[in-house]
Amino acid sequence: MGLIEIAAAKALASSAVFLFFTLLVMAAAKRISTCIVMFSVQSAIMAAEILAVAYANKSAEAYTIAALVIVVKVLAIPYLLFRIVRNLKASQDVASSTTGAQSVFIMVGLILLSFFAVAPYARTLRVDEDMLAASIALLLAGAFLMVSRKKALMQVIGLLILENGILLAALTTIFGMPLVIEIGIFFDLLMGVFLMGLFVFRIRDTFEHLDVSKLRRLRG
Amino acid sequence: MTLVLLLLVPFLAALLVLTCKESRRAVLVAMSAGAIEGAAIVNAVWRILAAGALQCGQYLRADGLTAFFLLNVGVILALVLTYSIGYLRHIPAGRFSSPRWFYSLTFLFVFTIMAVFLSANLGMLWICVESTTLASALLVGFYNTKGAVEAGWKYLVVCTVGIAFALFGTIALYLAAVRSGVNPASALDWTVLMNAAPSFGVTRDLVKLSFVFVAVGYGTKIGFVPMHSWLPDAHAEAPTPISALLSAVLLNCAMYALLRFDTITSHAIGGEFSHTLLLIFGGLSVTVAALLMVVQRDLKRLLAYSSIEHMGIVAIGIGVGGPLGLFGALLHTFNHSIAKSLMFFTSGNVRESFGTLRMRRIHGMARSMPWTSAGLVVGSLAIVGMPPFGLFISEFMILTAAFGASRYLIAILLLVSLSVVFGALLHHFQRMLAGKRTDVPAKLKLLPSDFAVMGVCTALLLLFGVHIPGMFAFLLQRALVVLQ
Repeated sequence: MGLIEIAAAKALASSAVFLFFTLLVMAAAKRISTCIVMFSVQSAIMAAEILAVAYANKSAEAYTIAALVIVVKVLAIPYLLFRIVRNLKASQDVASSTTGAQSVFIMVGLILLSFFAVAPYARTLRVDEDMLAASIALLLAGAFLMVSRKKALMQVIGLLILENGILLAALTTIFGMPLVIEIGIFFDLLMGVFLMGLFVFRIRDTFEHLDVSKLRRLRG
Repeated sequence: MTLVLLLLVPFLAALLVLTCKESRRAVLVAMSAGAIEGAAIVNAVWRILAAGALQCGQYLRADGLTAFFLLNVGVILALVLTYSIGYLRHIPAGRFSSPRWFYSLTFLFVFTIMAVFLSANLGMLWICVESTTLASALLVGFYNTKGAVEAGWKYLVVCTVGIAFALFGTIALYLAAVRSGVNPASALDWTVLMNAAPSFGVTRDLVKLSFVFVAVGYGTKIGFVPMHSWLPDAHAEAPTPISALLSAVLLNCAMYALLRFDTITSHAIGGEFSHTLLLIFGGLSVTVAALLMVVQRDLKRLLAYSSIEHMGIVAIGIGVGGPLGLFGALLHTFNHSIAKSLMFFTSGNVRESFGTLRMRRIHGMARSMPWTSAGLVVGSLAIVGMPPFGLFISEFMILTAAFGASRYLIAILLLVSLSVVFGALLHHFQRMLAGKRTDVPAKLKLLPSDFAVMGVCTALLLLFGVHIPGMFAFLLQRALVVLQ
């Protein structure tokens, strides 16, 4: 094994740490664009992970999935989100209902919680405990960002992080689903983001703001 | 080929109808596409009954259970398209809210629903259920008012998150199957899973975990309490034909997905676990929805909560299990969809005539619009489970099964909730129907098509209350064979 390969292997082995890092940055972020960049970075880490497996196993299917992640999650969706942010011409603030310090604190709590949650499963399934914990942490973090940030776009980003967590769970436990299904899921995700973007514009045009906590006409 | 046709017709119709600038042409295209789709469904059901199951390639499959639900879609689609002829007069010609867009999105929605029923693969099933949300979100927000946009956004976000949980559950089941020695390439196939299910014992915990996530995920789409928050908004704000389609087809569609998982889980680790979970969700939905129905102020929201209650009843039927419980549950999905469509259709007429759905502002309906009132009365008698209508029979079956299985608690809960619902509907409707009208409502002339849909719904409800046709009972038996 060459020096570069060893370095790459070391980096990948600790990629769960990088994922936690993106989550903490997102928790502290004040601007929507920071969260979009972090989402893109997070997807890139996962793509690197898949590429490593593809390289090790010489699996064409894994290369395809890696390409899909790069095209859809690292490039297309962040690009779409940035376009929406630019065209909205609204304030970039994430409008958090918790302060930055509180958010970071809660995020750390969620990461610890996910380690406790996966411990029994990781042993019986014989999979990498850090990665499985990272996937659950992504799930919880996505849900947390969705409930604590008031901007409509942040809900989309929260949802995407949640989806990333599910993808990571599938990758660490069984290395993904059959390719056709995987492609279908990516397609659905892309369409979903597209449609949510459409609704973000509609919310702005009809309500003249983007604060979903003020959407409370329908009650009871 | 039979199965591909079922998907091809609504897809092509969705594209074709967009080219029709005139609304009359759009109606014509939509009606003929609906007729072709209806014929295709009858053909498919017929062939499935003859052959047992049809398979087309690796990803399309139809068995007895599919056939039953396909028939359900066919009947409701025919009713909804016919009702839309009259309803469309009120759609203003906006940029994206003209009749052709309405029809195009509706057919796209039908296409995704058909795809759900025809998927042979649980991953594919997930993809299709998710696309039903995507296809119908624009329909929910169709009118672009504040309420509609809010409902559409809420629907899209809540259901997508819910469905994401179902994906997690699907992956867990896939993992369980692969760990039990099923070939990974086909470990999401329904038939393969059914055959291999008894050997999943070693991965018991995973199967349980998977069912919990799937029940929460698809349960969001079904509208189980406490994941129901999107449902009343979406049903109340969508155009009325779409409300009928959501309530009568989409909820059944999600229930179908959950039923598939329930069957596999019961085969793998015994029915106890999954059925208890369904009973809990069902009992919770029935009770909470019944209580919330008492305090509703908007007619369509009232109907939406009634849908939650009925999905709870179906879940109880499945949870009680046994041939009688399952038979009752399946029959109830069909009966409910007919009765609820009828009620949504009449509520659409009420809205056109009174200009509002606030039940406090509606008085003297019985005098000013006798036919619509008659429809509303028939629908509400049917929906609360009065004989001689179909829902009485299916609810009676589910209750009998519950008492037979010594599930006394759930049976009594169900009976009490049904009485609360009865009281709530009586309370709301007698105020609307009786009395003199205070303000003169706009004259609403019912078209022959409006009479036709109300007549057909009433006739079907009566028919199923008196006698289940032999062919239909045979179809139901075929569906039960799949589940056992």
